[in-house]
Parts: sequence; structure tokens; C-alpha cells
Amino acid sequence: MSSHDIAIVGYAQSPSWERAELTEVQFLFPVIADAIAMANIDRRDIGFTCAGSCDYLSGQTFAFVSNLEAVGAWPPISESHVEMDGAWALYEAWVALQHGDIDVALAFGSGKSSPGDPMQIYPLQMDPYTLTPLGADPTSLAALQARALLDSGRITEREMAEVAARNRADAVGNPAAQVSGEVDVDALLATPYVTAPLRAHDLPPFSDGACAVIMATADKARDLSDNPVWIRGIDHRIEIHQPGMRDLRESPSTAAAGKAAGVGDGPVDLAELSVAYTHQERILTGALGLGDGVKVNPSGGPLTANPMMATGLSRIAEAARAIQRGDGKRAVAHATSGQPLQQNLVCVLEGEK
Amino acid sequence: MSEPVVMMDYFMHLEYEEVVCPIVRRYADALMEGKILGQFSPKSGLVYVPPRSFCPVACEWLGEDNLVELEDRGVVTAFTVVTPVQYYGQEETEPFVKASVLLDGPGGMLSLQDILEIPPDEVRIGMRVEAVWLPPEERNQDEIGNRSWGSAAGAILGWRSTGEPDLPADTFTDKVY
Repeated sequence: MSSHDIAIVGYAQSPSWERAELTEVQFLFPVIADAIAMANIDRRDIGFTCAGSCDYLSGQTFAFVSNLEAVGAWPPISESHVEMDGAWALYEAWVALQHGDIDVALAFGSGKSSPGDPMQIYPLQMDPYTLTPLGADPTSLAALQARALLDSGRITEREMAEVAARNRADAVGNPAAQVSGEVDVDALLATPYVTAPLRAHDLPPFSDGACAVIMATADKARDLSDNPVWIRGIDHRIEIHQPGMRDLRESPSTAAAGKAAGVGDGPVDLAELSVAYTHQERILTGALGLGDGVKVNPSGGPLTANPMMATGLSRIAEAARAIQRGDGKRAVAHATSGQPLQQNLVCVLEGEK
Repeated sequence: MSEPVVMMDYFMHLEYEEVVCPIVRRYADALMEGKILGQFSPKSGLVYVPPRSFCPVACEWLGEDNLVELEDRGVVTAFTVVTPVQYYGQEETEPFVKASVLLDGPGGMLSLQDILEIPPDEVRIGMRVEAVWLPPEERNQDEIGNRSWGSAAGAILGWRSTGEPDLPADTFTDKVY
């Protein structure tokens, strides 16, 4: 199926806070305003808005409705919401732009994890009979995945620590990063396990934060920007819910989404992947067929800034930023949802210059 | 062989602990001093009470400069008579009123306010009211959080009629929330 060319013309991210003092809608407000300013549009030019968030995180019913106040919803606007990462909101907005009746769309993702305990909340999204009662939290499921990968000899604990060290070093200077700095791999390996075989550096922070992206159709994008970033392909695939029925060492949904998005149709300069646990980088680069020459998570990635429900959309924003900065011409951005790597979205981005 | 499992209990418990945002902390502290703080949006002309740091209508960020001290007198613009159903945790047994009060002066609307001293069937749209403050030593911030927009509980017990003549009810058709 051929699709219309859509480009990213604006984006913005909040810092990643361990515990934000502002409410979710308050910290969303400047992020939306900054993305609109970068896109060089008026708020009323936005034909469709789609948000990604999770009411369970902040423990407030219909929090996603009050988040719309950061967009400006009076007079009424056309909008939608996904109870998923903002990357899926971007996908819905991209689909809306394909219809051709509007030319600008806004997608955003936001989450305030700090009021609750993600280790309590996330098991509730698992199978209610066999997994939720076990307290199947993200760390435990990621640890099972890491164990399977280690046992098969596809990765070592040292290689996992090297991912953490590289990400933290790359995050230096990234204003959205929560964790950054030069660390020694041997020092990391000397630390105790949190959930074996994962140590603290193998785990992501849980951040409060937000990200917004503005897209436009081809003609409009050229009007608005002299350096638009084109979405050459986007696709998402899902696997069976029950982790016990999957080979956790592989990510066939990422591979399928990557193939459909056209990752292999050209050289890839850099990739922003939702690597929330160090060992997952190996799984994802393998599924996407990314070779050694591809710079992975030059922003530092989710191991250094992990605003839940905005982490995936931030990959797209970071990849677009890297292209506009001239760090590469063609990039892959990846978002994930569910545990561990159950559903995956892949987006191929390309610059003009 | 034992019976197959047909039903299982899973008791869910989630705890949330939230930081009250800076502007609501200012509001709560002012209430302890007997002052109602709101935020004025120059672009929309609207007043928000409690303050919320932005105006969603004008899409304008509001700061300390936009804080205004509001009157503790106003007019009832809408109300609901609640007939309590005795669900778990319901402490009320008799019908009671929750009213929206539009404050005098720069404006600002406090919603879900108690109307004191008169039976529910005597509450009217357009009725002039004044705040009944708790004594300073009895005031507290227990009920105030980021989510309780419109709450002055812990400082203002409720509102009572001033005895002034009612204002025309149809003046407030756009102030019904």
C-alpha cells in the first residue's frame, strides 16, 4: 500500500524528573507550546490531536481528559487518545493525515509515574488469572528475558553493562536525561543484582515527563520548514500476551514491523530504540538487522530518560533531532508496549539535507 | 481429583502519594490566613480558583504575577440537591446541597460548596452568599490536593445567605458548572 508523505516539523520534550513538582498537565503545557512554536504554526492550524497516556500511573481517572487542557480544546477540537505510549498516538495521527482532509496533526505522550509504584501497577496489565496474582512486574519479566538470552550465549553481563555505560556517556549534555555520566564497566559489574541477572544499571529510571511531535502533509511541511524530517515508513505489530508462549530471545514483532516500515530499504545511520533493559538492545538490533555501523541511542536512550508513555515518542523526536542536526540522514525509531517487548512500533525517518 | 477452579479472588491495592504542586500550595497557605487566591488570565479574562498555573481557554501560562486575592462573598450560580444513598462510606443521611459560588470582584468560581443554615429547598440561583470561615486554629489543608479543584474544605465550612436581594437567575446561564 502506498502512503502519502508525512513529515515531522516540530517536537519538544520535557526534562525527565524522578519526581515532578508540577502536575502532568502543567508540565505538558510548555512542551506542547514549544512544539507548536518550532513548527511555526498557530495552535488552531492543528487538524487532529492524539494523546498517549495511562491513568493508572497517576491514579487519576480521566487524567487524559485534563491533559487536553495543555492543548487548548476550546472551541472544540478533533482529538483522540490511546492508553499507550505517545508513539502509538503518533501512528493514529499519521493515519489521520493519510486521509488528506487535514494537513497538520499533533501527537503527544505524557506520564507521571512518581505518585504510584510501577512495580504494583504494571502487573495489573498482565493476564489477570495467571500473571497478575504472581506480581509479574516489568523487572521480573525483563530478568527472565535476560536470563534466556545469557543462557543461550547471545550476550554477556559485561556486554549488558557496556550498553549502560555507553548510554550514560551519550546522555551527557542531553537536557532530557535523568541519568548521565562516565562510568566504569568493571565498577558496574561489581554491584549486586537487583533482580538476577539484572543489576541497577540494567534497569531504566521511571521518569515523569512528556514529549510532543507535530506532523504535516508534504506540501504543508515544505511551507513550514526548510528542514522537515520525512516519515518513510511506520508499522506496529503485536505478539501473544503470555510471555511463556514466546521465545523471549527474539522479537518477531519488531522484525515484522521493521520489514513493513522499510528499515532494510536503505542504509541506516542511527537508531533510537526503546531499550529499557540493557539486554534488549541486542534483541532489537538483531530483529531490525542493524549492523555495527549504526549508532544506537545517541541520545542516551530509555536507560537514561524514561518518561513512561512518552519514551517511545521521544525516540522519534530524538531521531528527528539527530537528523536535523546532521548526525545522519536516515534513522530508525522504535517504541515498545507491554512486557517484555510484546508490541513494537518501528518508524523510518529521513532528512532532506 | 479436586474440583476445577471456577472463581478466584484477587485483592488489588494501589497506593499513590502525590506532591501538591507549587501554585496549589500557595493557595492552601493563603486559605489558612483567611484569603482566597485565584489566578487571572489577561487573555481570556477568566479567573481560576484554585489557581492552576495556566488558562486552558487562552492557552496562556499563568505565574505569580497573575495571582489575585478574591472576595469571600458571591452568588450561587448553580446547585445540586444530593439525596444520599447509603453506600459504604456515605456519612450523610439527609438531602444536602452542593453549589457553585461565583465570587464578587474579579470573579472566580468555587464549585461543590456547602450551603449552610437553610434547608435545600430554599437554595436559589442568584442567592447572595458569604463564606463561613472556620476559626484559624481549626483550619487544615487535609482535603487540598492537585485533584480537588474548587475545594476550600478545611478553611471554609460553607456559605450562608447574606440576606441581600437575589440577583436575576438568568444572568448566570453561562456559569452553570
